[in-house]
Amino acid sequence: MTSNIRRHKSKRKILSRVMLYALVVLILVWTLAPFTWLFITSISTQAKLNQIPIQWLPDHPTFEHYAAMFNPANPTGALFLAALRNSLVVASTTTILCLVFGVLAAYALARFTFPAKNMLIMGMLSTRLLPTIALVVPFYVIIVGYIDPIFPMFDTRRNLIILYTSFIIGLVIWIMRGYFATIPRELEDAAMVDGCTRLQALTHVILPLSVPGLVTTGLLAFLLAWDEFLLALIFTRTPNAYTLPYFVFIVGSSQYYQSPAAVAAGGFLAALPPVILAFIFQRRLVSGLMAGAIKG
Amino acid sequence: MPESLGRHGKAKSLQNRRRWSERRFALALMTPALIVTLFVVFVPLFYALYLSFHKAEIVVVGGRGGLLAQFVGFKNYLYFLKDSRFWYSVRVTSYFTVVSLLIEMVAGVGVALVLNQEFFGRGIVRTVFILPWAVPTVVNARMWGLIFEPHAYGALNGLLQALHILGPTETINFLAPIPIFRNVPLVGKVTSWLGATQGINWLIVGDTWKVLPVVALLTLAGLQTIPRELYEAAEVDGANAWQRFWLITLPRLRPVLVVILVYRTMELFRVFDIIYILMAYTIPVLAIETFRQAFVYGLFGKGAAIAFLIGMFILLIAFIYIRAIYVEEE
Repeated sequence: MTSNIRRHKSKRKILSRVMLYALVVLILVWTLAPFTWLFITSISTQAKLNQIPIQWLPDHPTFEHYAAMFNPANPTGALFLAALRNSLVVASTTTILCLVFGVLAAYALARFTFPAKNMLIMGMLSTRLLPTIALVVPFYVIIVGYIDPIFPMFDTRRNLIILYTSFIIGLVIWIMRGYFATIPRELEDAAMVDGCTRLQALTHVILPLSVPGLVTTGLLAFLLAWDEFLLALIFTRTPNAYTLPYFVFIVGSSQYYQSPAAVAAGGFLAALPPVILAFIFQRRLVSGLMAGAIKG
Repeated sequence: MPESLGRHGKAKSLQNRRRWSERRFALALMTPALIVTLFVVFVPLFYALYLSFHKAEIVVVGGRGGLLAQFVGFKNYLYFLKDSRFWYSVRVTSYFTVVSLLIEMVAGVGVALVLNQEFFGRGIVRTVFILPWAVPTVVNARMWGLIFEPHAYGALNGLLQALHILGPTETINFLAPIPIFRNVPLVGKVTSWLGATQGINWLIVGDTWKVLPVVALLTLAGLQTIPRELYEAAEVDGANAWQRFWLITLPRLRPVLVVILVYRTMELFRVFDIIYILMAYTIPVLAIETFRQAFVYGLFGKGAAIAFLIGMFILLIAFIYIRAIYVEEE
């Protein structure tokens, strides 16, 4: 009798294990299949892409589309290299500015009490939540109508850097403020007793302890800047300033259109840096997202 | 300092001075961030309000730009409130937001429950699962564009043919603006009023692919805070898996789910990238309509009016959101 129940139980257990692994496989396929298709398209010849019925794997994989991207003599390659350079400059400068200014503000908000502090915190958080689309119209009128005639801003990297910094700094302040709050205040007090100034206590004691938080926050800032499209669409036109998302957009639109394979190769290359960073720092990013979205 | 104040007074004034120096230091630390947020976010927000009351055009004469603004009062707002296309935009944005939310939340919780089980290779699966989130929105749009390719060599058409769901010569134009349920009497009327089409539904699939990791991994983090003993106790009491989910998991997850829900609502309501890239102006969600008024027609006053309406609506949600996540100190 008891062995019967046990057998029944173990049968159910096996069934639920099978179900579980089936679901895991389903999740993996859903996650990987679209991105794999992007890659397959990028290494296919036009002839393979036009075949009916569909050819899942190319007989003769070609990396010519990738080679073209890195060839400055190729028109598409020249556009791609400019976009890559702009994206790297804009995203990394934005990250550095956000970290420097954001950390200072976050520290002040975490450690000191002063009037209207809660209002400031909410004000800065709301800048993160306010949609870009709500601000692009005034941005455009101010920049093109007033600033640009005096000081060139349209189609420059510095313009993107300033705009991105203003949108991302709220998130940096929000996460780092939470992070600083977890570091005991006694550490700075001790450093100041030992003769450090307040600023030195921050740079010599608190910041070294905050490296994990800084890495996570910096990564999030970099990924957000790398991903941004709307502002790049409105404020850039030429290889002077346009970024990879803008490149991936125009290379697939009619005026520059080449082939699905070229679009896929450009897209795959644009996705590669954030994907690699996300794989390396997966745990950190999730905890950073958690801190950004939930903890206060 | 008068002698009569005594020791107590001195200590107090010292404390006072310290507080003031702290405040000055705090203000100095915040100045750069304050300048950036004030001049790049709050000033433009009020400028948007100003523009929305004007008929505004940018005029460039001999390389010198200038704004031609003529005060029109509430005319821009009234124009939209009376315009049936604007209300269509509101409905189609709401449809996109609500349907996406439903799918994301249900699938997100489901995936989180699976990833919370113990299985071989769990760490790797969790890591791989973050991939879609890292793919830039523009690349995501182009990628789904390739998958939804209307010809037989498109990936999804090819897959459906290989599975014999479609005949060998049949193909589907996934992104076509075909109303859904159009042959169902009452439902078809409602869905076409909402702007629900086959195209927007497939776009929701593509958009969900990218954000599902965030929803699921945040939910997973929430799941991990539920003490195991609760489940063990419930099992002893004879609760089955379904009851355990409804009576323990869901109530305990509620705070996390509320935050994700509100956060995603804000993000979805502003959707632009994937729709602009794959559909141009054929699905006029509010962000697309703003963009079109300002940057295609050059009507900055009208653009600012919609932008301001979107901004206010999202700030309203943001206020609820901040109230939910911000725990005031002391």
